[in-house]
Parts: sequence; structure tokens; C-alpha cells
Amino acid sequence: MIKIWSMKKNEDAAAKKKPKTSAAQIRVQKDLTELDLPSTMKTNFPDATDLLNFTLTITPDEGMYKGGAFVFSFVINTNYPHDPPKVKCTQKIYHPNVDLEGNVCLNILREDWKPVLNLNSVMVGLQYLFLEPNADDPLNKEAAEDLRRDRDQFLANVRSSLKGGYVKGVSYDRVAVS
Amino acid sequence: MSESQTINEATTNIQTGQPDAKTRRYDRQLRLWAATGQNALESSRILVLSASATSTSILKNLVLPGIGHFTILDASNVTPQDAGNNFFLDGPDSIGKNRAEEAVRLLGELNDGVGGTAVKESVGEVLAKQPDWVKRFTLVIAHNLENNLLEKLSTLLWEDEAGPPLVVVKSAGFLAEFFIQFRDHSVIESHSDSAPSLRITNPFPSLLSLATSLDFSKMDPTDHSHVPYVLILVHALENWKKIHGGSPPKTYAEKQEFKKTILAMKVKQDEENFDEAEAQAYRCWSETKIPSDISSLFSLPAPSPSSNPNTFQFYTLLSALKTFTSIQPPYALPLSATLPDMHTSTDTYVHLQKLYKARAEEEKAVFKELLKKEGGGENVDEEAVDNFLKNCHALKVLKGKKWGAFDTDREALATALQTYPKEASTHLALSALSALPTDVSPAEESLRATAQNIVGQDVELPDEFDNAVGEIARSPSADLPTTSAFLGGLVAQEAIKMITKQYVPVNGYCVVDLVETWTGVIA
Amino acid sequence: MAAAAAQTNGSAIYGDWPGRYFHVDQVLDRPGPRTDPSFLAGDGVKKFLREECKILVIGAGGLGCEILSNLALLGFKDIHVIDMDTIDISNLNRQFLFRPKDVGQPKATVAAEFVMKRVPGVKVTPYFGKIQDKDDDYYMQFNLVICGLDSVEARRWMNATLVNLVDPENPESLKPLIDGGTEGFKGQARVILPTVSSCYECSLDMLNKPTAFPICTIANTPRLPEHCIEWASVLEWPRVWKDKKMDTDDPEHIGWLYNVAAARAKEFKIEGVTWSLTQGVVKNIIPAIASTNAIIAASCCNEAFKIATSSAAYLNNYFMLIGTDGVYSYTFEHERRPECPVCGGESVELSISRDWTVDRLIEMLVEKQDIQIKKPSLSTPTKQIYFQAPPQLEEATRPNLEKRVSELVPNGGEVTVTASSLPFSLSLRITFI
Repeated sequence: MIKIWSMKKNEDAAAKKKPKTSAAQIRVQKDLTELDLPSTMKTNFPDATDLLNFTLTITPDEGMYKGGAFVFSFVINTNYPHDPPKVKCTQKIYHPNVDLEGNVCLNILREDWKPVLNLNSVMVGLQYLFLEPNADDPLNKEAAEDLRRDRDQFLANVRSSLKGGYVKGVSYDRVAVS
Repeated sequence: MSESQTINEATTNIQTGQPDAKTRRYDRQLRLWAATGQNALESSRILVLSASATSTSILKNLVLPGIGHFTILDASNVTPQDAGNNFFLDGPDSIGKNRAEEAVRLLGELNDGVGGTAVKESVGEVLAKQPDWVKRFTLVIAHNLENNLLEKLSTLLWEDEAGPPLVVVKSAGFLAEFFIQFRDHSVIESHSDSAPSLRITNPFPSLLSLATSLDFSKMDPTDHSHVPYVLILVHALENWKKIHGGSPPKTYAEKQEFKKTILAMKVKQDEENFDEAEAQAYRCWSETKIPSDISSLFSLPAPSPSSNPNTFQFYTLLSALKTFTSIQPPYALPLSATLPDMHTSTDTYVHLQKLYKARAEEEKAVFKELLKKEGGGENVDEEAVDNFLKNCHALKVLKGKKWGAFDTDREALATALQTYPKEASTHLALSALSALPTDVSPAEESLRATAQNIVGQDVELPDEFDNAVGEIARSPSADLPTTSAFLGGLVAQEAIKMITKQYVPVNGYCVVDLVETWTGVIA
Repeated sequence: MAAAAAQTNGSAIYGDWPGRYFHVDQVLDRPGPRTDPSFLAGDGVKKFLREECKILVIGAGGLGCEILSNLALLGFKDIHVIDMDTIDISNLNRQFLFRPKDVGQPKATVAAEFVMKRVPGVKVTPYFGKIQDKDDDYYMQFNLVICGLDSVEARRWMNATLVNLVDPENPESLKPLIDGGTEGFKGQARVILPTVSSCYECSLDMLNKPTAFPICTIANTPRLPEHCIEWASVLEWPRVWKDKKMDTDDPEHIGWLYNVAAARAKEFKIEGVTWSLTQGVVKNIIPAIASTNAIIAASCCNEAFKIATSSAAYLNNYFMLIGTDGVYSYTFEHERRPECPVCGGESVELSISRDWTVDRLIEMLVEKQDIQIKKPSLSTPTKQIYFQAPPQLEEATRPNLEKRVSELVPNGGEVTVTASSLPFSLSLRITFI
């Protein structure tokens, strides 16, 4: 065998022994402990020892969705940050960019994800959806249509959906902050 | 679909779309060369001279993807040395048996669909008694064949214009090279990354009228964010031309300004279609002419009708293409019917696709009329025309050389030793090895002297030659398992490209050094 | 199988015959011009290769089959192979140790049997299972590891495991890792000396990511057949089948997706949804051929051979091949990334009193001149010690501040520190005095 050890010793005398914590684990620790969230966003860990599964609650203090509390589930796999976190809305909400199954249309969750992005960027991106819903490339086509045609009607629909009412025959979860 | 249905119920009667066993077996390669490439492979007949470890490694990688048939020519019996380094011999059980027969038997197990024949004769005998036999194959591969036989064989195949290509493979220890001898190799499906023109700079009538009819100021915001970049570019370019005397952006500053104009058309920051248009804006100045790689082919001398029929057909198509680009505006290559994906609505995309297809059909009709006027043009079938037109923006033609010509061109050798000292030194050391008698291991000094004779006494051998010649002297007759496997992959890969006429094969000597692990191409 | 193979262990040189190693011995009996002077030509190196060296192959697929046969012919006699897959018909165009009758059998077992039958005297020990099933003691027994995998995740795990295995006190703990990968006509082979040269994680950003389409395109403006297929698999499957897991190897599942995608394509007048494309998109199929695998596997085994015997210089450290247009290759040294989360970052030995609280430790980290970390968060490989944020985790870990470090960390144990002022992380090895 070649003598690799000699190269190592010459290179660096300091011990380089690394912990058994996985790269994904360290990265999640780093992402979470450096989160810089406004008061409108809050994380919740059902199991405080499990950093890979948690929820984020967004309570917008301005815009059309003010008054609602929106809960997203985050599932991070061991291939993070090579793979993006899997994010879904846990409630049935009336929003052009969230479908009735909870799928979210946010570019950095899919086609534009890269490992230099972090959980903070994802959360900020999610909050932006409530301030500026995008009607041009929607997931909930009806909601987008409403927003395009009549902003006031759309706002009324949002209000009623937040209270758990019906919009065009579809019942939505009550997400209004009491 | 109701949720109470089981997967089973939901999927009965839909198994029709599932591919057959053969397609499933070849699935991972069909995604590279499709059914056309596979058909070409399956019709091929390969001749390999000797059943060395390198030869069987090459054949393994041709039998697995499914060539039609292979023949191994080898008169020798398996030695204990052979049995130790060749995976397609049965260890000590094969010792004493004919090498070709043993190898054919074990290689044949890899794929039932491939035929194999062992011919227990020596290359010398065959070339002396019935030389034309070797011309019956699609491709001939020779590993570490003696120089005099190689000279005879390569001359025989080179002089017949319709003769098969010859792959000459040499190896010793960690060093190796191979060379493909062919006269003319034309590739329609080069699978190049270059994209066909979208005719932004010279739009056809229906595209132009659609693009210029757009009134961006009156659009609803959703429509505005869904105008495909092709239409944005045609629209913007026409406007630009109006105020720039009919010319597209030319200088760097103009190009930057044009891009700015496009981004200024946005009404909202996040309109991806305008970002795409900016990213594709280069088409407004790069698509104005036929790519030089293609127009340069128009001046190539056409081969004689006695050459390979495939080659002849290619030049017939090429000649019609040349005429097509010169008879009428826009003097462009025939339009491609395939539209890349772009940010837009389904309806707009499908509509645009239809416009492109319709126009492509019209141009194809013109092309076919021109083709008919070419000698032999009426024999080209529809499929071949379609394939040619689909790929005409990325055609490739390689003009090859005879094996060994490089080693008699002292000027070229001297230049190569200066420009590519590592590659050229390795090639030269291997040439020196095969110039010496094979029955005794040559001394480093005689290898050096032989190399000096090849390049001429006045040429100084570079330092890199010491590395190469030392390595050859160390293991002149070693057919190492890893070197043979490495060559087995490289040579088979190039053989597949030659046979399928897809992707672009290497032209020149491909040299391999497995000490530092590099490959290079010279001559 | 494994048990039977184990019985042939012991006197390793069995089945040799005169002349068997005529070819390989030429490079073992004398050095070449670029051979390191430490190379001891002759019997010693042959004995090590053929009787002592123990090598592990990860993967018995496209690369694995080639690697195993190459190693056996090179003279490695004690080879282990791990693979969790069974043989599929689509493997047979390149995985040449398998025959149609083997479809459904474990790859590792079939490959091992074949190689032992073809090459007398070699012992190949298969393990049909996951690399994660094995512990450090298992990996510690090998001299070298060759990876022929198609998964980023498995590679990251193997790489991190071998980097972590390196014990500054024990030279034997440094196992060279040779990694190969292919994709169509392209491939790469590299040599990783854990903690000495660039590791797999260092180059993670060089990877091409698979194409993903915007979910709103899939939902609303499909234009390509791929958009229709993704609609079926990403949106329709979970909507219709809820929590039922999609099995992309199940033809019935693929059939359902194909039908749903085809119906949608028809609705939107999109052409080109086929069974093969459906399968390609949902399984993210990468084209694979025998020839590219042969080149990359040969290169990997060649490096293993040179490292095991010192008979020639070895690859430093990355060989990249592109075979679509001629034969283009590029050999270069990939540099280590100082902030690599696996092999980079700093490591500090710390001796503290058994009585120190976590709070005291943090104070020290903040104050210590050569460390100076602002707002550090600490964890052990199994639990959190103290997190600065988010509030819930801060609150949950706050009681630990008063606890003694020695209650939470074993003597000689590892603590991972992250902080915004650190490029990535810092690892502490804590001993108590």
C-alpha cells in the first residue's frame, strides 16, 4: 500500500477527527439556529429532538391574507441540502399559488432549488406568497381567475375562506386568528 | 377515477403500452441511440483479429448492446498466461484449447441475440489466401497485430473505397493507443448541443404576422406574462430594425441596448417570459447566417458512386441542401419542426408549434423537389429525408487517414512531439515497440533507437519520451486486465459510433496513459 | 453463500498455476520511470496484493460487475461486495455477470458467485443489503473501498463514513476511497484520500441536478409530454391514491401514470407521451451502456491496484470523460473545500473540568481568543445541547445551560458547534480533567 499517512502528518498536525453528525444534520442545525424570522412567522417542533420534521405558521400582518394563520409542514430528508425540503400547506386554503391538496408553487422549492439556499430563504419566499399572490402562473386556477377579474371580489372570497366559509361551492378550512 | 378502485382494476387493459422484453432489455441504451441506432448495430458484423484479453474486452461491450454477429480470427491455443488475464476464457480449463473457440463460447453467453464464429486460422494465412474475406465485415478490429500484417491489412482495406473501417489497437502495460482508419465518415445524428435556428432574424410570413400583430400595451397582465420569447424577440427585432436601417444589433453596445429594450417591456418584475427572451436574445445576431460548420461542408469533394452507399446518399442530401440554401430567401437551412419549450400558455405553444410544423413541411417539399434533381436523389426514402432535415444544423463529416501515414510524416511527428509531448511520446514509444521483433523483450535502448529512426536523427526526443519508453520497456508484453478493460470500453464506444453513425467518433490516434490516468488525441 | 465462501479463506493462494500472473507481474517485478522509490518490487508486494489486501466494492450493478471482474483478474483475492438491489431485465444490456435466468435474484450474490466460478481462487463475499446496515468496525477491516453507485445519497453516506473513520492515532483507519460514476457516454473516476484530499462532499456543487419543472406549469400550462407525466405523478397520484406509495418498478403503477398522462396530453393536444418516456421521467432514468461503465470501472480498479501495490503513481485526483464528440477527457486535481461540512471545518481538542456547565463552556467559546464565536449553538451526534434559535428550541434546550457538560457528553465525545460567524461548523472533542 502507498503510504498515505505520511502525507497526512506532513500536511496538518492538528487532529481532524470529525463528529459522527451527518452533513445534513449539521446543515439543518446551522439553518435553524440562524433563522432570522419576523414576528409573523413561527416554527413549531412536535418533537423538539427531531429537527427534520416541523411546521411553520405564517400570520401575515398586512396584505389580503392579514388575519389568517397558515401552517406549512416541512420535511427534510438526509440528502439535504442536495434535495430541497418538502413543504406543504396543511390546511385547505383559498390562494392562487396553493392548491387544494396543499401543494405550493414556489420556484425555490423545486426547479430553482440549490444547496446555497437555506430554510430561511424558503420561509421568506412562502411569506411573500401571502403578500403578493401571483395570478399569472397559478395552482388554484379559480382563485387566480377571481384575483385577475375582480380584486375586491377576490378579497371578499379570501375573507370568507379564512373564516372557514365556502367559495364557489368549495369549503375551506377555518384559518382565521381568533 | 373513483378512489375505491384498486390499482389493479384501474390498470386492466392498459398494459398495451408496455414495451416488449427486447425493448426492456435495451432500454438504457435506446435512450441514447434509439431504434435506428439499435437496428444499425443489429445488422453489423464485426471481425476481431486475436482473442487477447483486450480483444475480448472490446467484444464484450459490443455483444452486450447487441451487434448482429462477431467473428474471432485466432489460430493459437490458450496458454497459462492467457488463462490468467482473460475473463472470457475459463481459467485453467481452457488451457490448450483453441483461443477463438473458447472466447466465442463465453462471449456468446452474454447475449442470445448475437451470433459468434471462431475461425482457427492466422491473420497471415487469411491475408495470403483469401484477402477479400476481411472486407465482408462492417468493421475490423486488430489488437497488437504484427507490423507487417497490419501494413498489409490496412492497405487492403484503405484501397477499397467501400471497404470497412479498421480499428488498430495497441497496448503494453499501462500505456495504449488506438486508431480508426476510414476514408469518410459522415454523421447526421451528431447529438450535438447546438440548437436549430428559430428564424427570429428572418421570420417566415405566418410567424412575422403573428409577432407584429401583438399589441403589448393592450394585453391583460396574464397574457402579457405568457407571450412566448420567440414572439417577443421577433417583435422587438422588427421594431429595432425599423429604427436602425434594417440591421439587427451588431456592436456589443447595440446588443446590450437591445437586451435592455426587452427587459423594459416587462410590466411586472417577475415575468419569466421576458427573462427568457433576454437570455435567448443572442439568436437575433447569431442566427443571421448558416452556421459555418455546415456551410464549410458544401465545398467538400463528393465521393465516387463506387463508395459506400450510405456515404454516397449523405453527399446527395448535402448537395440538395446546398442548393436549398442558395436558391431563394432567406437563404437559410430548412426550418426545423421542433420547437424548444418556452414560458407560455398551452394554447399559444400548441399554436406556435403548428405554425413551425406547417412551415417546415412547406420547406421540406421544396427540399424534396431539389433532391429529386440530384443523381440518386429519388432513391432516398422519406424517413431518411426527415432525419436529415431534423439534424441538418449539426451535420458532421470526418475525413480520415490511412493507418501509419502519421509515422512516415516526419514533419507532423516533430510538430506533435513539440505541441503534445506526452501524447506524441507515448504514441512513438508504442510505434517503436511494434517495429521490433515480438519474440524477445526489447531493451529500452533499442526502443529509443527505433523511435529515433522513425522521427529522424535530427529530432530531439522530449523528456516525456523517457517516461513512455521506460514504461514500455518495463512491461512490453503485458496485457493488463485494467488496461484491456479501459481499451475495451473506449474502442467499443467508438465502434458503436462508427456503426450507428450517431455521435462523433475520434479521428486520429487516441493515446492512453493509465499511470497518470489521461487520454489524448493526436494527428 | 457467504458461509461457503468464508470456508475458502485461509491459505489464500489456491488455484494458482505457473504463468497465471505473467501479465500483471511485469509491472510488479520492476518499477517504471514514474514509480515511487518506496515501491518494493517482487514477492512482498505480490504477497500483500494476493494474500493480505482486503477490498470492498459498493454496488454490484453496471460499474460493480466490471469492478469485480477486473479486481479478480488483477489478483485481489479477498473481495467484499454490497448491493441492496435485485436484478432487472433492463440491467442485462451492461451488467454482464447476470443472465435472464437471474432476474429477480440479489445482484451481490449472483455477481459474487459468477466471479468465483470464472476466476479460480478468488473469494468474493456478498452482502445483499444496505451500506447503512454496516457499522464502523465492518468498514475498518478493509484496506480500500471502491464505489460504483448511482445514488448521490449513498455516496455522501459512504464518503462521510470513511472520513469519520479516520482516527488520528491509527494510520490503518485511513481508507482510500475510489469513486466512479457514469451517465450515458460520460463518466468520472476519482481518488479520495479521506481528510487528505478533496472528498465527495467537497465537490457536491459540481453535480448536475435533474430537470424539474415549475409546479404551476405542470398544473396549468403543460406544453411538453414531460409536463403531463409530472402532472400524473406529482399531482394526480397523491390526490387519487392518498398515502399509497408509488412504486416506479411496478408496471401497474407506471401503467396508471402513463394512462393518466396520455389522457391529459390528449386534452391539451400535446404529442409524445409514451410508456418509455413515462418510465424515464418518473424513475429519472439515466442512460447507461456497457462501454462507458467499462472505462470508468477499469480506471477505478487501476487506481486501486496502483494504490495497493505502489507500482505506479495514482490518479491525482479526478478523471472526467466525455465521449459524445470524440474522446475527450480531463484529468485534474479537485481542491479540498475548507468549509466542507464533511472533511473541512475546524476541529478543536478541548480539556475542561468535569464541573463545567454548558453555560461556562459557551462563555469560554465566545471569549477564547483563537475561537471567538458569536452566539454558538451546540449539539452532540445524538442530541441538542443548546440552540440559540428558534425560540421553541432555545426554550427546550435552555435548562441544559445549567447542567454539567459531563452529564451530556461522554469523555472524548464530539460536540458540533454552529454559529453565523463560522463558515460552516466547528467540532470540539471534549475531554474532562
